Amino acid sequence: MDSYDVVVIGAGNGGLTASATLAQKGLNVLLLERHNIPGGCATSFCRGRFEFEVALHQLSGVGTPESPGPLRMMFSQLGVLEDLELVEIKDLYHVIGPGDFRIDLKPDREQVIAAFQEKFPNEKDGIERFFNLSYQYAFQMLSAFYFKDPDPSREKFPFLYQYSFKTAQEVLDDFFRDPLLKCALSLYWGFLGLPPSRLSFAYLALLFFTYIELKPFHIKGGSQTLSNVLIQRFLSQGGTVRFSCGAEKILVNQGRVEGVITESGDQIKTGYVISNISPVATYTNLIDPIYVPENVFQEMRGRSLSPSAFTLFIGFDREAHELGLTGSMTFFPNHTDITDKNLVEMQRLGMENPFMAMSCYDLADPGFSPPGTCQASVVTLKYGEPWMRVPPAQYHQEKFRCAEAMLQRLEAAFPGVRGHIEEIEVATPLTHMRYLGHPNGAIYGFEQYTKDSMFFQPGRTSPIGGLSFASGWIGDCGFQPTLQAGVSAARAIIRELERK
Amino acid sequence: MNKEIFKDFDGYDRIIEERDYSRKYGLDYSAQKDSADSFIQRLHPKRLTLRVSEIIPETPSSKTLRLVSPERVLPPFLAGQYVALFLEVKGIRTSRPYSLSSSPNQTGYYDLTVRRVEGGLVSNYLLDDLKRGDILQSSGPEGHFYYNPLFHDRTLVLLAGGSGITPFMSMIREVVECGLDREIFLFYGNRNMQEAFFHPHLKDLSGRFANFHYIPVIEDPPEGYEGQTGLISGALLKNTLGRMENKTFYLCGPQAMYDYCLPQLEGLGIPRRKIRKEVYGPPNDITRAPNWPVEVSRDQLFKIVIRGRESIEVKAVEPLAASLEKQGILLPTICRSGECSQCRVKVLSGKVYQPAGALVRRSDQRFGFVHACVSYPLEDLEILV
Repeated sequence: MDSYDVVVIGAGNGGLTASATLAQKGLNVLLLERHNIPGGCATSFCRGRFEFEVALHQLSGVGTPESPGPLRMMFSQLGVLEDLELVEIKDLYHVIGPGDFRIDLKPDREQVIAAFQEKFPNEKDGIERFFNLSYQYAFQMLSAFYFKDPDPSREKFPFLYQYSFKTAQEVLDDFFRDPLLKCALSLYWGFLGLPPSRLSFAYLALLFFTYIELKPFHIKGGSQTLSNVLIQRFLSQGGTVRFSCGAEKILVNQGRVEGVITESGDQIKTGYVISNISPVATYTNLIDPIYVPENVFQEMRGRSLSPSAFTLFIGFDREAHELGLTGSMTFFPNHTDITDKNLVEMQRLGMENPFMAMSCYDLADPGFSPPGTCQASVVTLKYGEPWMRVPPAQYHQEKFRCAEAMLQRLEAAFPGVRGHIEEIEVATPLTHMRYLGHPNGAIYGFEQYTKDSMFFQPGRTSPIGGLSFASGWIGDCGFQPTLQAGVSAARAIIRELERK
Repeated sequence: MNKEIFKDFDGYDRIIEERDYSRKYGLDYSAQKDSADSFIQRLHPKRLTLRVSEIIPETPSSKTLRLVSPERVLPPFLAGQYVALFLEVKGIRTSRPYSLSSSPNQTGYYDLTVRRVEGGLVSNYLLDDLKRGDILQSSGPEGHFYYNPLFHDRTLVLLAGGSGITPFMSMIREVVECGLDREIFLFYGNRNMQEAFFHPHLKDLSGRFANFHYIPVIEDPPEGYEGQTGLISGALLKNTLGRMENKTFYLCGPQAMYDYCLPQLEGLGIPRRKIRKEVYGPPNDITRAPNWPVEVSRDQLFKIVIRGRESIEVKAVEPLAASLEKQGILLPTICRSGECSQCRVKVLSGKVYQPAGALVRRSDQRFGFVHACVSYPLEDLEILV
């Protein structure tokens, strides 16, 4: 029987950084991936002469070489920084609509404030105060939790105490009157999956702070490059990877992990498993129910599944500027409502109104698509549940109908783009379900209502000894958090082994 | 964390109350066993079990296999898509993609129309040995060669060569059976009329439906043949179609047909976005492919070391995936044309030849990953499977 120090299940962001961290320490690691390619969400696919980016829009936490952020430092520690070309994105985001409203934001605090003040002169003071609050909040959060202040208090961190459990909408309503301003200020909610009426203010503040101070980044070649670089690093340090081979079972004995059975039937001996797949699938599919402590499902019961996504991947036979595309990241709000109405829209199949965002990677990285072309990924958030009720025979028709509605919105913003489509692929919530294996195709794992936000997340540990998690399901979602989650899970095992 | 200071944050009690309610009325995730995977089987099954319900002779060298499911409703597909059959022939486990030629209007059965390939392992087995009632394994429907209502034109110009007619048969059937608002021109090239699949049926349909036009093109016509002859040329397209605007062109057939027809379309000024091309397996003779190194001869053998496993000796002119299958190493390849990326393997050392058109991601190229179904060894290799 083969034996490994650690078996990592899933080669998504967390699985990859966990594997690379463990292998770097000289541990004997087996990485299982049920697909033929590493990356999970961090992947790409080819159609015609295009290679489409699947998931990465703006990489956070990188920072410049002069003032590096946590992610750049992590890449450096993993020894992969040299293999990655990190391209700074010059836009924060553009907004088109509702109606003829337009605003272009750069990742620069003064520019963002000035741009909003110009559009909303009556709310000048509020805008200044809002960004002060967001920054102060972020500083206090980082001081207390990232730099681990030994003696935190309400006096030291008043905003942290006052605002952590407020929703973004509560804060926006306090500061502003114009619904359009509130809407344009909170569009990053799409990166987190909950509208401002439900999203913790903390996330909005931290997102503004991180993207403005550490800048949004693009990885040259797309997120698949990162996944391949990490696999290469893992292999070069003696790691073993099996593609097209998932895990069938995690073997547990007396409350501790003792092995893994692979999809191909091989029995592997190991004392540690890092699961990069959802805790739902880990506990229900991989572990014999008699070994799953009851409190696991009790705790999970309070959580809900995040939306999935509906995405158009479009290859155009013209360059971005020829089509009038100018923003590398553009949001298209169709109304200014930041309330639960957005949740309702995400629960429906219809595409006329919902939140829509577009990334045009070629504007950040001119060589991204072949010369004379460009690609755009146009995405909206949708819960998986309504899609699961579409009868299979009507699936394709429904998919094209929804895509058509989104294309019409795109054409309205950029007249003439439809005439230059060379390739198009549509991904529905069921597509995400197929490739990620997540229940309901949830792309952000569990939802992060304030009651589930950073202080109340499941965390990486399990009551089963030797089992831990690294993914967007157990903490914050997105590239930076999941990449970091893998390193944390690996380090915890390294520390435990060193203690022995 | 130093202290659980968040318990002192404003609103903590309300949050805990909300959390407790959610736990009381929330979802029981223990009931979610296999939920995503088993749900998605309805659309994208990993494997389908199919029973041969009928074998219908088409031409002297081809038959249609009508396949039904003994256990479930077959998943829907888009006209033009294919399935891969997974089978074991003469002790070799292998796979072959076949376009579905039946109408997507029903999924009571799938039709696959198979032509005999000279010396072909699988086609000869399917045509000679398969019987009604036999069981086959296949992939779910796959592929990107279909009418896309989001950007394709309502007028479809189909260029078929030989067995390349099969995906078009499905598209044509869908349009006429469902009365769709599309017009189809089918140019169907064959060496002789005996080899043309579905000829009487197509002729009949073109007589009955005003929006379907059938133009058979015969390369070696018998004396006195009055139809179109030669190849599917730009002049023939121009004469038949008139204006080229608002038409989408679809090509399916052997490499030689693409080599001839694509420049013809370019000559007519058809933009690239209006041309859809189906993949059609690896070339018959790879040594004739552009840039094949002359120093590597047809009968050359190379040694391949599979890391952590055995070493094997393989032919230069055989795709790696096929060589590996002969040694019992089955890659889950579906398209066998370099497109689906399921047979992605890493070349650790040595050089391989990959014909143009294989859709390999850029970062895969950088790190030596290739699609084994369209990769040929040019020297001794070490690979990671």
